[in-house]
Amino acid sequence: MSSEAVSLTELTKTYGTVRAVHGLNLDIPSGQTVALLGPNGAGKSTTIGMMLGLVEPDSGRAAIFGGPAEQALRDGRMGAMPQEGGLPSRVTVQELLRFVAGTYRAPLPLEDVLAAARLTGEAGRRVDRLSGGQAQRVRFALALVGDPDLLILDEPTAALDVEARRRFWEGMRRFAARGKTVLFSTHYLEEADEHADRIVVVDRGRVVADGTSREIKRVAALTTVSLTVSGDSTTWLRELPGVTSVELRGGRAHLRCTDSDATVAAIAAAGAIRDLEVAPADLEDAFVALTAGSAATPALEGTSL
Amino acid sequence: MLGYVRLELARVLRDVTFLVFGVAMPTVMYLIFTTLGLAPGDGRQEVALFIMVSMAAYGGMGSAFNNGTGLGEDRATGWLRQLRLTPLSPTAVLAGKTVTGMVVVVPGIAAVLLAGVLINDVTLRPAQWVAIVALLWLGTIPFTLFGLGNGYRLTGQSAGLANLAATMGLAVAGGLWLPIERFPGWLKAIAQWTPTHNYADIARHVAFGQSPTLRSALILLGWLLVLGMYARYGYRYAGRRA
Repeated sequence: MSSEAVSLTELTKTYGTVRAVHGLNLDIPSGQTVALLGPNGAGKSTTIGMMLGLVEPDSGRAAIFGGPAEQALRDGRMGAMPQEGGLPSRVTVQELLRFVAGTYRAPLPLEDVLAAARLTGEAGRRVDRLSGGQAQRVRFALALVGDPDLLILDEPTAALDVEARRRFWEGMRRFAARGKTVLFSTHYLEEADEHADRIVVVDRGRVVADGTSREIKRVAALTTVSLTVSGDSTTWLRELPGVTSVELRGGRAHLRCTDSDATVAAIAAAGAIRDLEVAPADLEDAFVALTAGSAATPALEGTSL
Repeated sequence: MLGYVRLELARVLRDVTFLVFGVAMPTVMYLIFTTLGLAPGDGRQEVALFIMVSMAAYGGMGSAFNNGTGLGEDRATGWLRQLRLTPLSPTAVLAGKTVTGMVVVVPGIAAVLLAGVLINDVTLRPAQWVAIVALLWLGTIPFTLFGLGNGYRLTGQSAGLANLAATMGLAVAGGLWLPIERFPGWLKAIAQWTPTHNYADIARHVAFGQSPTLRSALILLGWLLVLGMYARYGYRYAGRRA
Protein backbone atom coordinates (compact mmCIF):
# COMPACT_ATOMS: atom_id res chain seq x y z
CA MET A 1 0.00 0.00 0.00
CA SER A 2 2.85 2.38 0.74
CA SER A 3 4.09 2.05 -2.87
CA GLU A 4 1.02 4.04 -3.89
CA ALA A 5 1.48 7.77 -4.16
CA VAL A 6 -2.19 8.27 -3.32
CA SER A 7 -4.53 5.81 -1.71
CA LEU A 8 -8.11 6.83 -0.95
CA THR A 9 -10.30 4.30 0.81
CA GLU A 10 -14.06 4.69 1.19
CA LEU A 11 -13.76 8.46 1.53
CA THR A 12 -16.97 10.21 2.55
CA LYS A 13 -17.68 13.87 3.17
CA THR A 14 -21.06 15.43 3.74
CA TYR A 15 -21.81 19.15 3.91
CA GLY A 16 -25.17 19.61 5.58
CA THR A 17 -27.49 17.48 3.47
CA VAL A 18 -25.16 17.38 0.46
CA ARG A 19 -23.06 14.27 0.06
CA ALA A 20 -20.04 15.81 -1.64
CA VAL A 21 -17.98 12.63 -1.62
CA HIS A 22 -19.59 9.27 -1.10
CA GLY A 23 -17.50 6.15 -0.57
CA LEU A 24 -14.76 7.10 -3.00
CA ASN A 25 -11.89 4.68 -3.64
CA LEU A 26 -8.81 5.52 -5.66
CA ASP A 27 -5.23 4.27 -5.77
CA ILE A 28 -2.59 6.06 -7.78
CA PRO A 29 0.78 4.37 -8.19
CA SER A 30 3.89 6.54 -8.39
CA GLY A 31 4.70 7.94 -11.81
CA GLN A 32 1.20 8.19 -13.24
CA THR A 33 -0.43 11.33 -14.58
CA VAL A 34 -4.07 11.10 -13.62
CA ALA A 35 -6.98 13.33 -14.57
CA LEU A 36 -9.87 13.63 -12.16
CA LEU A 37 -12.69 14.38 -14.55
CA GLY A 38 -16.19 15.38 -13.58
CA PRO A 39 -18.82 18.08 -13.86
CA ASN A 40 -19.03 20.95 -11.39
CA GLY A 41 -20.26 19.69 -8.06
CA ALA A 42 -19.05 16.14 -8.70
CA GLY A 43 -16.87 16.22 -5.59
CA LYS A 44 -13.49 16.80 -7.25
CA SER A 45 -12.40 19.71 -5.09
CA THR A 46 -13.60 18.07 -1.89
CA THR A 47 -11.69 14.93 -2.81
CA ILE A 48 -8.57 16.97 -3.47
CA GLY A 49 -9.11 18.88 -0.22
CA MET A 50 -9.07 15.58 1.65
CA MET A 51 -5.93 14.44 -0.21
CA LEU A 52 -4.20 17.65 0.86
CA GLY A 53 -5.37 17.36 4.46
CA LEU A 54 -7.35 20.61 4.18
CA VAL A 55 -10.70 18.85 4.53
CA GLU A 56 -11.31 16.28 7.24
CA PRO A 57 -13.21 13.25 5.86
CA ASP A 58 -16.33 12.10 7.75
CA SER A 59 -15.16 8.54 7.26
CA GLY A 60 -12.61 6.64 5.21
CA ARG A 61 -8.92 7.25 4.81
CA ALA A 62 -6.73 9.36 2.55
CA ALA A 63 -3.10 8.24 2.52
CA ILE A 64 -0.29 9.99 0.67
CA PHE A 65 2.81 7.82 0.27
CA GLY A 66 1.27 5.56 2.91
CA GLY A 67 0.87 8.26 5.56
CA PRO A 68 -1.17 11.33 6.40
CA ALA A 69 -1.15 14.34 4.08
CA GLU A 70 0.49 16.52 6.73
CA GLN A 71 3.50 14.22 6.79
CA ALA A 72 3.88 14.27 3.00
CA LEU A 73 3.65 18.08 3.08
CA ARG A 74 6.17 18.43 5.93
CA ASP A 75 8.54 16.12 4.08
CA GLY A 76 8.18 18.22 0.96
CA ARG A 77 6.93 15.24 -1.06
CA MET A 78 3.62 16.80 -2.09
CA GLY A 79 3.13 20.12 -3.86
CA ALA A 80 -0.26 21.53 -4.64
CA MET A 81 -2.18 24.20 -6.44
CA PRO A 82 -5.50 24.36 -4.62
CA GLN A 83 -8.41 26.10 -6.26
CA GLU A 84 -8.86 28.58 -3.45
CA GLY A 85 -5.18 29.18 -2.87
CA GLY A 86 -4.11 32.79 -2.81
CA LEU A 87 -1.01 34.91 -2.87
CA PRO A 88 0.26 37.40 -0.31
CA SER A 89 0.23 41.12 -0.98
CA ARG A 90 3.28 43.41 -1.18
CA VAL A 91 5.90 40.87 -2.24
CA THR A 92 7.59 40.30 -5.57
CA VAL A 93 7.38 37.02 -7.47
CA GLN A 94 11.02 36.34 -6.74
CA GLU A 95 10.78 37.09 -3.01
CA LEU A 96 7.77 34.83 -2.72
CA LEU A 97 9.34 31.92 -4.59
CA ARG A 98 12.62 32.28 -2.71
CA PHE A 99 10.76 32.14 0.61
CA VAL A 100 8.69 29.07 -0.33
CA ALA A 101 11.78 27.35 -1.80
CA GLY A 102 13.49 27.95 1.54
CA THR A 103 10.89 25.88 3.36
CA TYR A 104 11.92 22.77 1.35
CA ARG A 105 15.01 20.65 1.83
CA ALA A 106 15.87 20.26 -1.84
CA PRO A 107 14.06 22.89 -3.92
CA LEU A 108 14.51 23.38 -7.66
CA PRO A 109 16.77 26.22 -8.77
CA LEU A 110 14.75 29.43 -8.88
CA GLU A 111 15.60 30.14 -12.54
CA ASP A 112 14.28 26.71 -13.54
CA VAL A 113 10.99 27.29 -11.74
CA LEU A 114 10.61 30.76 -13.23
CA ALA A 115 11.27 29.32 -16.68
CA ALA A 116 8.91 26.36 -16.19
CA ALA A 117 6.09 28.67 -15.13
CA ARG A 118 7.14 31.29 -17.74
CA LEU A 119 7.63 33.97 -15.13
CA THR A 120 11.22 34.98 -15.87
CA GLY A 121 10.10 38.39 -17.08
CA GLU A 122 7.84 38.88 -14.05
CA ALA A 123 10.38 37.95 -11.35
CA GLY A 124 10.74 41.50 -10.02
CA ARG A 125 7.07 42.40 -10.19
CA ARG A 126 4.78 42.56 -7.22
CA VAL A 127 2.47 39.58 -6.97
CA ASP A 128 -0.60 41.70 -6.20
CA ARG A 129 -0.14 43.64 -9.45
CA LEU A 130 -0.17 40.64 -11.78
CA SER A 131 -2.96 39.64 -14.15
CA GLY A 132 -5.16 36.65 -13.32
CA GLY A 133 -3.25 34.39 -15.69
CA GLN A 134 0.13 35.50 -14.37
CA ALA A 135 -1.01 34.97 -10.78
CA GLN A 136 -2.12 31.48 -11.70
CA ARG A 137 1.37 30.80 -13.09
CA VAL A 138 2.83 31.98 -9.80
CA ARG A 139 0.63 29.46 -7.98
CA PHE A 140 1.87 26.76 -10.36
CA ALA A 141 5.45 27.82 -9.63
CA LEU A 142 4.74 27.59 -5.87
CA ALA A 143 3.52 24.02 -6.33
CA LEU A 144 6.64 23.11 -8.34
CA VAL A 145 9.36 24.90 -6.43
CA GLY A 146 9.91 22.22 -3.79
CA ASP A 147 10.41 19.57 -6.50
CA PRO A 148 7.75 17.33 -4.90
CA ASP A 149 7.22 13.68 -5.88
CA LEU A 150 3.49 14.24 -6.12
CA LEU A 151 1.89 17.29 -7.68
CA ILE A 152 -1.81 17.96 -7.16
CA LEU A 153 -3.49 20.59 -9.31
CA ASP A 154 -7.13 21.57 -8.81
CA GLU A 155 -8.48 22.90 -12.12
CA PRO A 156 -5.11 24.39 -12.97
CA THR A 157 -6.14 25.99 -16.26
CA ALA A 158 -9.44 27.52 -15.15
CA ALA A 159 -8.34 31.15 -15.61
CA LEU A 160 -6.09 30.68 -18.63
CA ASP A 161 -6.71 31.42 -22.29
CA VAL A 162 -6.07 28.84 -24.99
CA GLU A 163 -2.44 29.71 -25.63
CA ALA A 164 -1.58 29.97 -21.93
CA ARG A 165 -3.28 26.64 -21.40
CA ARG A 166 -1.19 24.95 -24.07
CA ARG A 167 2.01 26.29 -22.54
CA PHE A 168 0.88 25.31 -19.07
CA TRP A 169 0.53 21.69 -20.15
CA GLU A 170 3.98 21.78 -21.71
CA GLY A 171 5.40 22.76 -18.33
CA MET A 172 3.36 20.14 -16.54
CA ARG A 173 4.46 17.39 -18.92
CA ARG A 174 8.12 18.28 -18.54
CA PHE A 175 7.66 17.93 -14.80
CA ALA A 176 5.82 14.61 -15.10
CA ALA A 177 8.50 13.28 -17.47
CA ARG A 178 10.94 13.28 -14.57
CA GLY A 179 9.09 10.32 -13.06
CA LYS A 180 6.75 12.43 -10.94
CA THR A 181 3.18 11.62 -10.05
CA VAL A 182 0.65 14.22 -11.14
CA LEU A 183 -3.04 14.42 -10.37
CA PHE A 184 -5.10 17.20 -11.89
CA SER A 185 -8.82 17.86 -11.89
CA THR A 186 -10.62 19.30 -14.84
CA HIS A 187 -13.99 19.48 -16.48
CA TYR A 188 -12.38 19.87 -19.89
CA LEU A 189 -12.52 16.54 -21.67
CA GLU A 190 -9.76 17.36 -24.14
CA GLU A 191 -7.37 18.11 -21.30
CA ALA A 192 -8.01 14.77 -19.67
CA ASP A 193 -7.80 13.03 -23.04
CA GLU A 194 -4.56 14.67 -24.11
CA HIS A 195 -2.56 15.06 -20.93
CA ALA A 196 -3.38 12.14 -18.66
CA ASP A 197 -2.23 8.51 -18.71
CA ARG A 198 -5.36 7.64 -16.86
CA ILE A 199 -8.76 9.24 -16.44
CA VAL A 200 -10.84 8.86 -13.33
CA VAL A 201 -14.39 10.00 -13.92
CA VAL A 202 -16.10 11.24 -10.78
CA ASP A 203 -19.77 11.97 -10.40
CA ARG A 204 -21.91 12.53 -7.32
CA GLY A 205 -18.99 11.90 -5.06
CA ARG A 206 -17.87 8.55 -6.41
CA VAL A 207 -15.72 7.07 -9.12
CA VAL A 208 -17.93 6.08 -12.04
CA ALA A 209 -15.19 5.06 -14.46
CA ASP A 210 -11.46 4.63 -14.35
CA GLY A 211 -9.07 3.86 -17.20
CA THR A 212 -7.34 5.24 -20.28
CA SER A 213 -9.49 7.43 -22.49
CA ARG A 214 -9.98 4.49 -24.88
CA GLU A 215 -11.11 2.25 -22.07
CA ILE A 216 -13.48 4.89 -20.76
CA LYS A 217 -15.15 5.18 -24.13
CA ARG A 218 -15.57 1.42 -24.31
CA VAL A 219 -16.86 1.03 -20.77
CA ALA A 220 -19.36 3.77 -21.28
CA ALA A 221 -21.17 1.41 -23.68
CA LEU A 222 -21.52 4.08 -26.21
CA THR A 223 -21.16 2.42 -29.53
CA THR A 224 -24.41 3.18 -31.26
CA VAL A 225 -25.95 0.83 -33.78
CA SER A 226 -28.76 2.37 -35.79
CA LEU A 227 -31.10 0.88 -38.36
CA THR A 228 -34.36 1.63 -40.09
CA VAL A 229 -37.33 -0.18 -38.58
CA SER A 230 -40.99 -0.36 -39.39
CA GLY A 231 -43.65 -0.10 -36.73
CA ASP A 232 -43.39 1.18 -33.16
CA SER A 233 -42.54 -2.01 -31.39
CA THR A 234 -39.02 -1.93 -29.97
CA THR A 235 -39.40 -4.80 -27.54
CA TRP A 236 -37.48 -7.25 -29.72
CA LEU A 237 -34.64 -4.72 -30.13
CA ARG A 238 -34.26 -4.33 -26.37
CA GLU A 239 -33.84 -8.07 -26.05
CA LEU A 240 -30.94 -8.25 -28.50
CA PRO A 241 -27.56 -9.19 -26.99
CA GLY A 242 -25.34 -6.28 -25.88
CA VAL A 243 -28.07 -3.61 -26.03
CA THR A 244 -28.48 -1.31 -23.04
CA SER A 245 -31.04 1.13 -24.41
CA VAL A 246 -33.17 1.81 -27.44
CA GLU A 247 -34.38 5.09 -28.82
CA LEU A 248 -36.76 5.51 -31.73
CA ARG A 249 -36.38 8.67 -33.84
CA GLY A 250 -37.88 9.29 -37.28
CA GLY A 251 -38.34 5.67 -38.18
CA ARG A 252 -34.85 4.73 -37.06
CA ALA A 253 -33.90 2.82 -33.96
CA HIS A 254 -30.71 3.86 -32.15
CA LEU A 255 -29.29 1.07 -30.00
CA ARG A 256 -26.68 1.82 -27.38
CA CYS A 257 -24.44 -1.24 -27.16
CA THR A 258 -21.82 -2.71 -24.88
CA ASP A 259 -20.98 -5.35 -27.51
CA SER A 260 -21.86 -4.03 -30.94
CA ASP A 261 -20.48 -7.12 -32.71
CA ALA A 262 -22.97 -9.39 -30.95
CA THR A 263 -25.77 -6.92 -31.54
CA VAL A 264 -25.07 -6.67 -35.26
CA ALA A 265 -24.77 -10.46 -35.57
CA ALA A 266 -28.15 -10.85 -33.89
CA ILE A 267 -29.76 -8.25 -36.18
CA ALA A 268 -28.31 -10.06 -39.18
CA ALA A 269 -29.58 -13.42 -37.90
CA ALA A 270 -33.04 -11.89 -37.60
CA GLY A 271 -32.78 -10.69 -41.19
CA ALA A 272 -33.47 -7.14 -40.04
CA ILE A 273 -30.50 -5.26 -41.50
CA ARG A 274 -31.78 -2.11 -43.16
CA ASP A 275 -29.50 0.94 -43.57
CA LEU A 276 -27.38 -0.29 -40.67
CA GLU A 277 -24.81 2.11 -39.19
CA VAL A 278 -22.32 1.58 -36.38
CA ALA A 279 -21.00 4.76 -34.74
CA PRO A 280 -18.16 4.68 -32.21
CA ALA A 281 -18.43 6.99 -29.20
CA ASP A 282 -16.25 9.98 -28.52
CA LEU A 283 -15.10 10.81 -25.03
CA GLU A 284 -17.63 13.58 -24.72
CA ASP A 285 -20.51 11.15 -25.22
CA ALA A 286 -18.91 8.77 -22.77
CA PHE A 287 -18.60 11.53 -20.23
CA VAL A 288 -22.19 12.66 -20.64
CA ALA A 289 -23.42 9.10 -20.33
CA LEU A 290 -21.27 8.39 -17.31
CA THR A 291 -22.29 11.48 -15.42
CA ALA A 292 -25.93 11.71 -16.42
CA GLY A 293 -26.86 9.43 -13.56
CA SER A 294 -28.80 7.26 -16.01
CA ALA A 295 -28.81 3.48 -16.30
CA ALA A 296 -25.12 3.64 -17.13
CA THR A 297 -24.08 4.43 -13.57
CA PRO A 298 -25.12 1.31 -11.68
CA ALA A 299 -23.76 -0.84 -14.50
CA LEU A 300 -20.35 0.73 -14.04
CA GLU A 301 -20.09 0.74 -10.30
CA GLY A 302 -16.99 -0.98 -9.15
CA THR A 303 -15.64 -1.18 -12.65
CA SER A 304 -11.90 -1.11 -12.59
CA LEU A 305 -9.88 -1.31 -15.74
CA MET B 1 10.34 30.16 10.26
CA LEU B 2 12.96 32.91 9.97
CA GLY B 3 12.31 33.04 6.25
CA TYR B 4 8.66 33.61 7.02
CA VAL B 5 9.44 36.38 9.49
CA ARG B 6 11.70 38.03 6.88
CA LEU B 7 8.94 37.85 4.26
CA GLU B 8 6.38 39.27 6.69
CA LEU B 9 8.65 42.12 7.72
CA ALA B 10 9.24 43.07 4.09
CA ARG B 11 5.48 43.12 3.60
CA VAL B 12 4.88 45.29 6.69
CA LEU B 13 7.48 47.85 5.66
CA ARG B 14 5.63 48.31 2.35
CA ASP B 15 2.31 48.70 4.13
CA VAL B 16 1.19 52.31 4.06
CA THR B 17 -1.43 51.66 6.76
CA PHE B 18 1.29 50.48 9.09
CA LEU B 19 3.53 53.47 8.42
CA VAL B 20 0.69 55.96 8.83
CA PHE B 21 -1.24 54.48 11.76
CA GLY B 22 1.54 52.61 13.51
CA VAL B 23 4.38 55.11 13.27
CA ALA B 24 3.40 58.53 11.95
CA MET B 25 0.09 58.99 13.77
CA PRO B 26 1.25 58.38 17.36
CA THR B 27 4.28 60.60 16.77
CA VAL B 28 2.22 63.43 15.31
CA MET B 29 -0.40 63.07 18.05
CA TYR B 30 2.37 63.22 20.63
CA LEU B 31 3.71 66.43 19.17
CA ILE B 32 0.24 67.97 18.91
CA PHE B 33 -0.70 67.09 22.49
CA THR B 34 2.57 68.37 23.91
CA THR B 35 2.87 71.58 21.90
CA LEU B 36 -0.72 72.79 21.61
CA GLY B 37 -2.29 71.52 24.76
CA LEU B 38 -0.05 73.23 27.26
CA ALA B 39 0.27 76.58 28.95
CA PRO B 40 3.96 77.55 29.24
CA GLY B 41 5.67 76.71 32.51
CA ASP B 42 2.87 74.34 33.47
CA GLY B 43 5.04 71.37 34.43
CA ARG B 44 5.94 70.98 30.81
CA GLN B 45 8.63 68.37 31.24
CA GLU B 46 6.40 66.12 33.26
CA VAL B 47 3.54 66.30 30.81
CA ALA B 48 5.92 65.68 27.91
CA LEU B 49 7.17 62.58 29.67
CA PHE B 50 3.70 61.37 30.65
CA ILE B 51 2.28 61.73 27.14
CA MET B 52 5.43 60.29 25.59
CA VAL B 53 4.81 57.01 27.38
CA SER B 54 1.08 57.11 26.51
CA MET B 55 1.68 57.69 22.81
CA ALA B 56 4.51 55.16 22.58
CA ALA B 57 2.15 52.64 24.15
CA TYR B 58 -0.54 53.67 21.67
CA GLY B 59 1.86 53.27 18.72
CA GLY B 60 3.07 49.88 19.93
CA MET B 61 -0.46 48.64 20.49
CA GLY B 62 -1.66 49.88 17.08
CA SER B 63 1.13 48.05 15.27
CA ALA B 64 0.48 44.91 17.29
CA PHE B 65 -3.17 44.90 16.21
CA ASN B 66 -2.27 45.77 12.62
CA ASN B 67 -0.15 42.63 12.51
CA GLY B 68 -3.25 40.58 13.27
CA THR B 69 -5.22 42.40 10.59
CA GLY B 70 -2.62 41.29 8.05
CA LEU B 71 -3.21 37.70 9.12
CA GLY B 72 -6.96 38.10 8.57
CA GLU B 73 -6.28 39.38 5.06
CA ASP B 74 -4.00 36.44 4.33
CA ARG B 75 -6.73 34.10 5.41
CA ALA B 76 -9.27 35.86 3.20
CA THR B 77 -7.06 35.78 0.10
CA GLY B 78 -6.21 32.10 0.56
CA TRP B 79 -2.50 32.71 1.19
CA LEU B 80 -2.76 30.99 4.56
CA ARG B 81 -4.25 27.96 2.82
CA GLN B 82 -1.43 27.95 0.28
CA LEU B 83 1.04 28.26 3.14
CA ARG B 84 -0.41 25.16 4.75
CA LEU B 85 0.63 23.21 1.67
CA THR B 86 4.31 23.99 2.21
CA PRO B 87 6.53 22.16 4.70
CA LEU B 88 6.03 25.07 7.10
CA SER B 89 3.69 23.88 9.87
CA PRO B 90 0.71 25.99 10.97
CA THR B 91 2.34 26.27 14.39
CA ALA B 92 5.46 27.73 12.78
CA VAL B 93 3.24 30.25 10.99
CA LEU B 94 1.66 31.28 14.31
CA ALA B 95 5.09 31.54 15.93
CA GLY B 96 6.43 33.49 12.95
CA LYS B 97 3.50 35.88 13.08
CA THR B 98 4.01 36.41 16.83
CA VAL B 99 7.71 37.15 16.32
CA THR B 100 6.82 39.52 13.47
CA GLY B 101 4.35 41.21 15.80
CA MET B 102 7.10 41.75 18.33
CA VAL B 103 9.34 43.36 15.71
CA VAL B 104 6.79 45.61 14.04
CA VAL B 105 5.85 47.34 17.30
CA VAL B 106 9.38 48.71 17.62
CA PRO B 107 9.26 51.56 15.03
CA GLY B 108 6.14 53.16 16.54
CA ILE B 109 7.51 53.03 20.08
CA ALA B 110 10.95 54.22 18.95
CA ALA B 111 9.56 57.11 16.89
CA VAL B 112 7.61 58.54 19.83
CA LEU B 113 10.49 58.12 22.28
CA LEU B 114 12.85 59.79 19.79
CA ALA B 115 10.42 62.68 19.37
CA GLY B 116 10.38 62.96 23.16
CA VAL B 117 14.15 63.20 23.33
CA LEU B 118 14.81 65.31 20.25
CA ILE B 119 11.86 67.67 20.26
CA ASN B 120 10.58 67.80 23.84
CA ASP B 121 13.97 67.39 25.55
CA VAL B 122 12.81 64.51 27.71
CA THR B 123 15.71 63.36 29.88
CA LEU B 124 15.89 60.11 31.78
CA ARG B 125 18.66 58.07 33.31
CA PRO B 126 20.03 55.36 30.96
CA ALA B 127 18.63 52.62 33.22
CA GLN B 128 15.20 54.23 33.00
CA TRP B 129 15.37 54.32 29.20
CA VAL B 130 16.34 50.67 29.06
CA ALA B 131 13.52 49.76 31.42
CA ILE B 132 10.75 51.69 29.68
CA VAL B 133 11.80 50.51 26.24
CA ALA B 134 11.76 46.91 27.48
CA LEU B 135 8.41 47.35 29.26
CA LEU B 136 6.75 49.14 26.36
CA TRP B 137 8.05 46.46 24.02
CA LEU B 138 7.15 43.35 26.03
CA GLY B 139 3.82 44.86 27.06
CA THR B 140 2.62 44.70 23.44
CA ILE B 141 2.48 40.88 23.53
CA PRO B 142 -1.12 40.69 24.86
CA PHE B 143 -2.22 43.03 22.04
CA THR B 144 -0.32 41.02 19.43
CA LEU B 145 -2.15 37.91 20.63
CA PHE B 146 -5.49 39.75 20.63
CA GLY B 147 -4.87 40.89 17.05
CA LEU B 148 -3.83 37.42 15.90
CA GLY B 149 -6.90 35.91 17.55
CA ASN B 150 -9.09 38.32 15.58
CA GLY B 151 -7.10 37.62 12.43
CA TYR B 152 -7.60 33.88 12.75
CA ARG B 153 -11.23 34.03 13.82
CA LEU B 154 -12.51 36.77 11.53
CA THR B 155 -11.72 37.32 7.88
CA GLY B 156 -10.31 40.23 5.94
CA GLN B 157 -12.34 43.36 6.48
CA SER B 158 -14.05 42.29 9.68
CA ALA B 159 -10.69 41.41 11.25
CA GLY B 160 -9.44 44.87 10.26
CA LEU B 161 -12.50 46.57 11.73
CA ALA B 162 -12.34 44.55 14.94
CA ASN B 163 -8.67 45.41 15.38
CA LEU B 164 -9.23 49.08 14.65
CA ALA B 165 -12.13 49.20 17.09
CA ALA B 166 -10.02 47.42 19.73
CA THR B 167 -7.11 49.83 19.18
CA MET B 168 -9.32 52.91 19.52
CA GLY B 169 -11.48 51.52 22.29
CA LEU B 170 -8.57 50.36 24.41
CA ALA B 171 -6.65 53.58 23.78
CA VAL B 172 -9.55 55.70 25.02
CA ALA B 173 -10.68 53.42 27.86
CA GLY B 174 -7.13 52.87 29.04
CA GLY B 175 -6.40 56.59 29.20
CA LEU B 176 -3.77 56.76 26.47
CA TRP B 177 -5.37 59.80 24.84
CA LEU B 178 -6.80 61.49 27.93
CA PRO B 179 -5.45 60.68 31.37
CA ILE B 180 -7.88 58.62 33.43
CA GLU B 181 -7.64 61.17 36.25
CA ARG B 182 -10.06 63.27 34.19
CA PHE B 183 -12.51 60.38 33.73
CA PRO B 184 -15.80 60.23 35.64
CA GLY B 185 -15.62 57.79 38.56
CA TRP B 186 -17.34 54.83 36.91
CA LEU B 187 -15.17 55.04 33.78
CA LYS B 188 -12.07 55.40 35.88
CA ALA B 189 -12.97 52.21 37.71
CA ILE B 190 -13.27 50.37 34.42
CA ALA B 191 -10.11 51.94 33.01
CA GLN B 192 -8.03 50.58 35.86
CA TRP B 193 -8.78 47.05 34.70
CA THR B 194 -7.93 47.60 31.02
CA PRO B 195 -4.74 46.11 29.60
CA THR B 196 -3.87 49.47 28.05
CA HIS B 197 -3.93 51.46 31.29
CA ASN B 198 -1.81 48.93 33.11
CA TYR B 199 0.57 48.50 30.18
CA ALA B 200 1.26 52.24 30.04
CA ASP B 201 1.17 52.66 33.80
CA ILE B 202 4.00 50.22 34.42
CA ALA B 203 6.27 52.17 32.07
CA ARG B 204 5.08 55.50 33.48
CA HIS B 205 5.99 54.50 37.00
CA VAL B 206 9.52 53.74 35.84
CA ALA B 207 9.68 56.98 33.85
CA PHE B 208 8.76 58.96 36.96
CA GLY B 209 11.27 57.12 39.09
CA GLN B 210 8.80 54.92 40.96
CA SER B 211 8.59 51.16 40.93
CA PRO B 212 5.65 49.67 39.01
CA THR B 213 2.75 48.39 41.08
CA LEU B 214 2.23 44.69 41.52
CA ARG B 215 -1.43 45.23 40.73
CA SER B 216 -0.66 46.49 37.21
CA ALA B 217 1.76 43.66 36.59
CA LEU B 218 -0.80 41.07 37.71
CA ILE B 219 -3.62 42.56 35.65
CA LEU B 220 -1.42 42.66 32.55
CA LEU B 221 -0.35 39.09 33.18
CA GLY B 222 -4.01 38.12 33.49
CA TRP B 223 -4.73 39.74 30.13
CA LEU B 224 -1.74 37.96 28.63
CA LEU B 225 -3.22 34.62 29.68
CA VAL B 226 -6.75 35.43 28.54
CA LEU B 227 -5.66 36.82 25.18
CA GLY B 228 -3.20 33.99 24.72
CA MET B 229 -6.09 31.56 25.10
CA TYR B 230 -8.12 33.65 22.67
CA ALA B 231 -5.33 33.51 20.07
CA ARG B 232 -5.07 29.77 20.57
CA TYR B 233 -8.81 29.39 20.16
CA GLY B 234 -8.75 31.50 16.99
CA TYR B 235 -5.85 29.50 15.62
CA ARG B 236 -7.70 26.22 16.15
CA TYR B 237 -10.89 27.67 14.72
CA ALA B 238 -9.02 28.73 11.59
CA GLY B 239 -7.31 25.34 11.34
CA ARG B 240 -10.64 23.63 11.00
CA ARG B 241 -11.59 25.90 8.13
CA ALA B 242 -8.22 26.03 6.43
